[in-house]
Amino acid sequence: MEIPFDVANIPGPEMGEVVSPEVIGSYISNAERPLLVVGSEILRDDFFIEIAIEIGKNGIPIAATGHSIRGFVDTEYADNVTYYNLHDLTNCLRDPNWAGLDGKGNYDFVIFFGILYYYASQMLSCIKNFATDPLIRAVSIDRYYHPNARMSFSNISPRREEEYKDMLKRLVKSIRR
Amino acid sequence: MDELKNGDLFSIADLKNVRISIGKIAEEEEEWEPMGPHPMPRIATLRDWDFKLLNRYKPFYAPVCDMCCLCTYGKCDLTGNKKGACGIKMDAQQGRIVLLACLVGCSAHCGHGRHLLHDMIKKFGRDVPIDFGPEVDVEAPLTRLICGIKPKTIADFEQVFDYIEEQIVQLADALHTGQEGSYMDFESKALHMGMLDSLNKEAADIIQIACYGMPSSHEGGGPDVPLVDVGIGTIDTDKPVIIVIGHNVPPAADIGDYLTENGLEDKVELGGICCTSIDTTRVYKKAKIASALGRQLRVIRAGIADVIVIDEQCIRADILELCQKVHSPLIATNDKAMHGLVDRTDDDPDKIVDDLANERVPGVVILDPEQVGEVAVKTAIQMDKKRRKLRLILSDEEFKFYVNECIECGNCTLACPAGLHIGEANQSAATGTVKPLADFFDLCVGCGRCEQVCKKHIPIVDVITKAAYPQLKEEKGRMRIGRGPVWDSEIREVGAPIVLGTIPGIIAPIGCGNYPNGTKDAWLIVKEFAERNYIVTLTGCMAIDAGIWKDKEGKTLYERHHGRFGAGGVLNIGSCVSNAHIHDAAIKVASIFAGRNLRGNYEEIADYILSRVGACGVAWGAMSQKAASIATGFNRLGIPAVVGPHSAKYRRAFLGRADLKEDWKLIDASDGSEIYIEPGPQHLLVACETVEEALPMIAKLCFRPSDTDRGRSGKLTHYIDLNLKYLNTYPPDWHLFVRTASDLPIATRNALLKKLEDEQGWEIDWKMKKITEGPIRGYDPSFNPTNLERLIRKKR
Repeated sequence: MEIPFDVANIPGPEMGEVVSPEVIGSYISNAERPLLVVGSEILRDDFFIEIAIEIGKNGIPIAATGHSIRGFVDTEYADNVTYYNLHDLTNCLRDPNWAGLDGKGNYDFVIFFGILYYYASQMLSCIKNFATDPLIRAVSIDRYYHPNARMSFSNISPRREEEYKDMLKRLVKSIRR
Repeated sequence: MDELKNGDLFSIADLKNVRISIGKIAEEEEEWEPMGPHPMPRIATLRDWDFKLLNRYKPFYAPVCDMCCLCTYGKCDLTGNKKGACGIKMDAQQGRIVLLACLVGCSAHCGHGRHLLHDMIKKFGRDVPIDFGPEVDVEAPLTRLICGIKPKTIADFEQVFDYIEEQIVQLADALHTGQEGSYMDFESKALHMGMLDSLNKEAADIIQIACYGMPSSHEGGGPDVPLVDVGIGTIDTDKPVIIVIGHNVPPAADIGDYLTENGLEDKVELGGICCTSIDTTRVYKKAKIASALGRQLRVIRAGIADVIVIDEQCIRADILELCQKVHSPLIATNDKAMHGLVDRTDDDPDKIVDDLANERVPGVVILDPEQVGEVAVKTAIQMDKKRRKLRLILSDEEFKFYVNECIECGNCTLACPAGLHIGEANQSAATGTVKPLADFFDLCVGCGRCEQVCKKHIPIVDVITKAAYPQLKEEKGRMRIGRGPVWDSEIREVGAPIVLGTIPGIIAPIGCGNYPNGTKDAWLIVKEFAERNYIVTLTGCMAIDAGIWKDKEGKTLYERHHGRFGAGGVLNIGSCVSNAHIHDAAIKVASIFAGRNLRGNYEEIADYILSRVGACGVAWGAMSQKAASIATGFNRLGIPAVVGPHSAKYRRAFLGRADLKEDWKLIDASDGSEIYIEPGPQHLLVACETVEEALPMIAKLCFRPSDTDRGRSGKLTHYIDLNLKYLNTYPPDWHLFVRTASDLPIATRNALLKKLEDEQGWEIDWKMKKITEGPIRGYDPSFNPTNLERLIRKKR
């Protein structure tokens, strides 16, 4: 069993599955209304902004939480990016009647990317426990194992940064929309 | 017959075997205000008000644990909002855990206050007057508001604690299996607990101010309180050093008294950690503050203390082990934290000193605060000589050895609450670049979990301390000592600007040091808002952490800004219990400025504050259960709070939905008409991921429906400007707060009108520079907002 990035963060009987980038890519491809939620950690390297934008270019809206919106403003990518506080956003996600960022309704597949580990973990817990009817699948593509996500990557140490970047490239490549 | 006093006994001559005990004697009460509808509210008394709040700011839950293991039916799996064997659902279970956290926090303050009252009555008698000087008539706003009592002496707080203790027991009862089953009712109870907690804090601080003559509005108090040294580097280790840790000041005060009485003020250092240190500086002018809570482990490990004196709360549970390692004798002074030591309260002080100084015992318990001073000082003087030869900071060779030992297994990172990549920094130090490790000194929350999992047994905390030692020695800040109550005269000056919005808000950074990115965030929050002419009122560890940083000219924020409760002020109100005075300032705006009755009138005053007083708490490093009950107490009074990302682990937030129009309906008390308003304040309790996100959020939570157009224009200026400064973009919701063109800042009005026209489709009359269609509502200066139907003056 994978160890949570915060080792004591063992929530209970339902813990996320460690999957490959292609599996997550496949789910994104098949989702009806996917949403990419990015956090401030994407600002540590332009590469991560580029990955978010690449995912966004597949018609997937981006909720920029924390101060990550700066990265998109700086690269002048604003097509489908909206600032949202993560607490506020998760609160909306658990409401089946939420109109979404585009007014067309809630989402069925949520991808967490670049969010502070422990904050993301709590929001994933909320989605797992309360966004159940209709079901929202929430996954993480961060370099941490997130037990509260339905699917997650494993823990990837900074020494394996290039490997992690490769995984993200594979993920982007596997999205077909 | 002689005059009878409370508690007296007397016998009647002709009646044998009859003895009558006199309980409380009812005294004729001063007529000071008519009693309001809710004196000493019970669990259900203010439930309607709570539900008004909870229906707008719905409880949001993020479980830390998906199971319940509180009874033998369990463990029960509640994942997906399933029910446990007792029938409780996940949401109610989360409400239950929140209530439990608030119970613990509220009990800590109540236990502290009651303990303090016992000690003070013993030392000073029952009749110490509550006299805060010429500028403070409304001496105890929360006590008046909740209990309907106007306390005259410290003994009057006995009935306040009686009330709180009874309510705590009733609320604790609701936690039992098979009691409450509704998350809304759990939250209403948590709000009740939070309110009681605010009352605890006020009582405790008033008692200590009254007894010790801490600053109030007597000479030298208020804005004129002196500055005090803050930071590890300010402790003079050439002298014997006593470090006090905790929250309950009498033992530390006794040390100060002993030093003064024996002419040792310049010969022995008295420093402290956490709130006891703040309160010690309020009673002993030579006291210093070594650090806030976040550096407790490192201050102890650094070995600067020749004796450590603990009282209660926020003390490390392994304090005795830590003290033994650095040969610092430990004196425990409170029965709530005795750490397995022998109670030596009634022993000969010299015998105790001899045992401690010769390390025959690692520490002692002394429960009478008036016996602590002599033992602590004499022990410190003896230990200082012995401890001088100790070398507790790692040598260069040891440092090199340890960083080279690291195999970068990553265990420390997985154990670290902040997820610090320590192995990487060790690697960097091994190749000669120490900075990444040194930078961790401020980012580290000082828990020590990393060391327990290190396969190579590297003392990681000590390695980081060694890396940062050059900076550490220079950590020398300044802070105003805790000033206690905000003066009535200050409220008279700023009440109108606050309610009308021309002072953009009261920002209250409070609480612990579990920051996501170090102590400098505390400094930045204070700096940003003080420079924008908000009133910044600090308490507790954030007050300390904000004081250790300096600007380019070498000035701290307390030196840069005045200490008045006015625009641009930076006020250290005091310790955790002192933050009741921030509640009190908001209450006094309703009372002194608006003339609302306080007595037993909580609901109306909370309604007033929610709609009109642009105040926002900031608990950026909230960690404890006390912080949970403190924030919940602020929330019931209508004051929102922004918390740091670690606080998502409190499991619950109170979040409003700007997109749900029906949630934002208010009543105009003038005629009873219902009005849809902008979402102000949008949330009651919300976490932000980074300080860059928090700064605009704090500004946003200062919007109130009562803002005048001039006030709204100022608030909007800061909200937009902070977004542009820290998020590089306009906030997506700024238009929601525009009611009329005059709400817009003059300097950018045309540009903003154009944006409203282009981006929101609003109709603008460009000739008149007016908005003709678009806003949620227009601006009506006579709008008298309320959530309470009973306050409607005349129904239309």
